[in-house]
Amino acid sequence: MKKILAVIQIVLLLAIVFMLYNPLAKLGLLPSLPALFHGGKPQIEETPIIIQQVKNIAQMFTQTFYDEYVYDTGLMRTPPFNVNKRLIFIAKGEVISGFDLSELSENSITRSGKSIVVKLPPARILEVIINPSGFETFIEQGDITFEETKKYHEDARRIFERNAREKGILKNSAEQGRQMLEKFLRLLGFESVDIIIPEAR
Amino acid sequence: MMNSGTPQKKVRLKRFLVLAAVLLVLLAVNLAVPRKKVPPQVGVRTLKDLAELATVEYHVTKIVSYKDVAWYGDRKILFEAAATVKAGIDMNELTDQDIQLNDDAAVSITLPQPKILLFNMKPEHMREIFNESGILRSDFSNQEKDDLLSQGEKDIRVKVARMDIQKRAARNARILVESWLKKMGFSQVNVSFRGQGVRP
Repeated sequence: MKKILAVIQIVLLLAIVFMLYNPLAKLGLLPSLPALFHGGKPQIEETPIIIQQVKNIAQMFTQTFYDEYVYDTGLMRTPPFNVNKRLIFIAKGEVISGFDLSELSENSITRSGKSIVVKLPPARILEVIINPSGFETFIEQGDITFEETKKYHEDARRIFERNAREKGILKNSAEQGRQMLEKFLRLLGFESVDIIIPEAR
Repeated sequence: MMNSGTPQKKVRLKRFLVLAAVLLVLLAVNLAVPRKKVPPQVGVRTLKDLAELATVEYHVTKIVSYKDVAWYGDRKILFEAAATVKAGIDMNELTDQDIQLNDDAAVSITLPQPKILLFNMKPEHMREIFNESGILRSDFSNQEKDDLLSQGEKDIRVKVARMDIQKRAARNARILVESWLKKMGFSQVNVSFRGQGVRP
């Protein structure tokens, strides 16, 4: 009986130590227990990177749109047991727009003495960037597969592009491209500079 | 014998009850304290002017693998990640002194050193190849997967910077600028890079 009580007392003492530690870990004042046992952040293994393709391009970036968005999938019920699933993440990234100058042809530039006319293609969205470091999971409930998460991440990219268009990225992009090119051409000694940019679709 | 044993038993029982009471109080505290969650903060959406000329694009892939081996079970995960990296020159760094006109047909231009302008890891180009956790281990959470892929991203950034991407970007920028200036009517064009005597 004595021994049993002693064992129970030790178990209770250990439980008390755990209960004292756990709230502090929850508040972020102490490292969590799994982190203590695993020695901190998991490290990926060393693997090489493989170059799949190298492409010569001629793109002029003239505008960037920084965005942050809280994406909420809402509560989803999955059959057959109606298990609740939900994912809320914060996405941070940027949308880059400008001109694809590889579309310039021989007829795009016309020079006459100190006058020059340049016809640029319409400004367009060139990249929507949300890298893995730009995603932060806030709430994860239920079993959400990698493919499902990818779908939501792609959706967030579409939202970024839509927001950028609504903010007038293409109009600003065309204007900045015009100013930049005009400045460059004037530095080259042209006195009359005309930049023609079709309206973006 | 009976008299000396009873107070000791009472003391032990008292100690036991005190411990149990403390434990109950702590259990209530543990349940009451919520897990720390940083509330999401949404920053200001901003448009910013750029003046960058991208001249080369690299498509790279990397296997991101992580193994967590323990006596009570393993957790293993494997991804294939792909990234697009674009490099070129920042035209904002171009100054008046960098362009020298010798006459109407001859021009010398000194371009800034090329750099990596853009890094993009698209979700549609990522694939989870393998994911397994032992029965006593938890599955990989979304946050853990994001963290592992972020490490992969960091590694690709470091390794791409060590490649010849900037050299290629400089070569392409020279070819591009030369061809434009010739289209503009300059018959003699000399393109060089700042802080570099030789042609890339």
